[in-house]
Amino acid sequence: MERRSFLKMTGASAAAVVISPSLITQRLYAEDGLSLYESYEKVHLKDADGNPLKASTLQPEVNYVFNFPHIATPCILVDLGRPANTNVKLKADDGTEYLFKGGVGKNGSIVAYSAICPHQLTHPTPDDSFFQYLERKGKTLALPNANEAGVFVCSSHLSAFDPVNGGKAIAGPATEGLTQIVLEIDENDELWAVGALGANRFHDYMDAFKPEFKKYYENKRKAKRLVKDEAKVVALKHFTKEIIQY
Amino acid sequence: MSMERRDLFKLAGVAAAAAVLPSVAVTTAGAAEIANKASGKTVLVVGGGFGGLTIAKELKKKDKTIDVTVIEKKDIFMACPFSNTYLGGLEGVSLETLTHDFYAPATKHGYNFVQAEVTAIDRKAKTVTTTNGNFTYDILVLSPGIAYDYKGQFPEWSEEKIAHVAHACPAALMPGSEHLALKRQLVDMDDGDVVIVPPAQGKYRCPPAPYERTSMVANYLKEEGIKGKVIVLDTRGGKFSKGAAFQESWKDLYDGIIDYKGFTKVIDVDPAKNEITYLEFTDAASLLEGDPEEAKKHTIKYQVCNLIPNNICSPVIKMAGLETNPAGYALMDGYTLRSKTDKDVYVIGDAVSHGIPPSGHTAIWTAKRAAGQIQAQLAGKSFDPKAGLPVPVGNVCYSMVSGNPEEAIMVTHEFVAHENGMLVGNGNVPKPKDGNGKFRSKGTGKATREWFAGVKRELFM
Repeated sequence: MERRSFLKMTGASAAAVVISPSLITQRLYAEDGLSLYESYEKVHLKDADGNPLKASTLQPEVNYVFNFPHIATPCILVDLGRPANTNVKLKADDGTEYLFKGGVGKNGSIVAYSAICPHQLTHPTPDDSFFQYLERKGKTLALPNANEAGVFVCSSHLSAFDPVNGGKAIAGPATEGLTQIVLEIDENDELWAVGALGANRFHDYMDAFKPEFKKYYENKRKAKRLVKDEAKVVALKHFTKEIIQY
Repeated sequence: MSMERRDLFKLAGVAAAAAVLPSVAVTTAGAAEIANKASGKTVLVVGGGFGGLTIAKELKKKDKTIDVTVIEKKDIFMACPFSNTYLGGLEGVSLETLTHDFYAPATKHGYNFVQAEVTAIDRKAKTVTTTNGNFTYDILVLSPGIAYDYKGQFPEWSEEKIAHVAHACPAALMPGSEHLALKRQLVDMDDGDVVIVPPAQGKYRCPPAPYERTSMVANYLKEEGIKGKVIVLDTRGGKFSKGAAFQESWKDLYDGIIDYKGFTKVIDVDPAKNEITYLEFTDAASLLEGDPEEAKKHTIKYQVCNLIPNNICSPVIKMAGLETNPAGYALMDGYTLRSKTDKDVYVIGDAVSHGIPPSGHTAIWTAKRAAGQIQAQLAGKSFDPKAGLPVPVGNVCYSMVSGNPEEAIMVTHEFVAHENGMLVGNGNVPKPKDGNGKFRSKGTGKATREWFAGVKRELFM
């Protein structure tokens, strides 16, 4: 059974691999038969010291990076400091509809998204990051007329995405929203990543960045492997040398 | 019979199975062979640049049953955006950075790519004649880009003289041999001056390009230890795209290297002697009046001369018989990306007459927008030409001003439905957060590279 949990699963087959802790069901999305949901082996989020990351220790509006579902696909975890909306209907570029159920944590304010811009695949690397959440009091050229930010911004081509509403694309050239990384919290306030919701461009990403993978992960084959058991979460400012945000 | 003929034109991805003989093939004398499928959803795209490749991909992404064929006269894609970093010799920028094959995206997204030059467009018969077969369409998309107007700018020059100057002083706004020639000249140059002549007037491709090039060539002279100047013979008196930002950088980085002359009129080039002759006026008003007695005449020697003539629209727009403005850009149907003249002909990229900047980023934007409008039209639905307007950032454009360290400046444009009936871009040149009060920063330098890498992913993945 445990072996099976290493395999990528979709739909109802995910129900067969429930192992402790008991509250991590991975069923929430899978059993609803929702479109554009992909279940992965659940991954325990750990802090820099290797201890389980407690949801309540996240600082509000701070970018935390972890890799999921692949070794080389970065995600950003944020406590938005305000509840995400629930049951938001979204549409992928090909017209497929899907449902964002909301955030986790006691306020429903914790969300995670794949940090690969759906527009042209810009993403944080250990060298620099053009893609991140921008706190509400921040300013961005992507939304020159907005009173507050509180959005993900890709500063390469100035697209903005609304994390409160499932990562919907709200400005700039991106048409498709962010891929949500579905989280669950267990009875110990510990966070788990269990799946990905929405269209994703993991495949294109793997094709696009072969030289980069060589630099950071030895090769594409290793970069492509699924994250197993646990993922280390670090603040973006520690993950990357330079945060570039316009 | 018809099957055999069609088989002569072997196109990747086109199933020759359906023996649908388009009606135009019967009615048009001498044009019996039609190389693409007439499906009722046939889109023909003329031009495989930023606009053309984007719309082909977008249409196939939106609806796989649309038949899309791209006709492009070049065999290799080469980008104009980012090419100044190649001319300036920035680290790791090679020809490979700027070029790509056309086959990969066509195969991946399922459109046809045909290398051919368009020789005639018959809007009545809905056919396009090329050097590699005849094509039919339900919707024609024209993304042909620009042409140079040597004749209009230098009426006294003969055809031979124009050809001589075009080769000896390559403009390098239409990538290919022009860029390679200019690069070769820069690499081979001795100590001495480089003269850059921006287009004297009117709309031209990539408004900051001559000034980014000035910066990159100055960087090259500096890095290589070449004793010489970059002399810019301009007409704009410093009031050009990102003008304040460029001039701040020039002052800080290239003092004594860049010699910017803002009120000049180039009157002759002698490529045999490496000499350029120009009139220098005192201000904008005297330049406008153009009285030679009010100006000083200079003839100077150059090592390399980059003469960028005034731009006009590609002649393909006129070939299609579309109404145009005096410079040949297609008149548009209100705020749409459809031509004013023919509801089945769309125009994108630099060839539009909308008041939006002719940049690679804008070309992609027009292509995506036009794809939505075409999809609606093919489905017999109406669309709102003002949908989504104003767009806060329709264009974002970086210009590299320094090579070591790499630093760039930027501009963004809001796109609005202007009361003049056209799409119009309103520019904003921000000071980046990491610029310490300057217009340029290292972050924007990195963003310049990431912008271009992203655009290549957009076109080719």
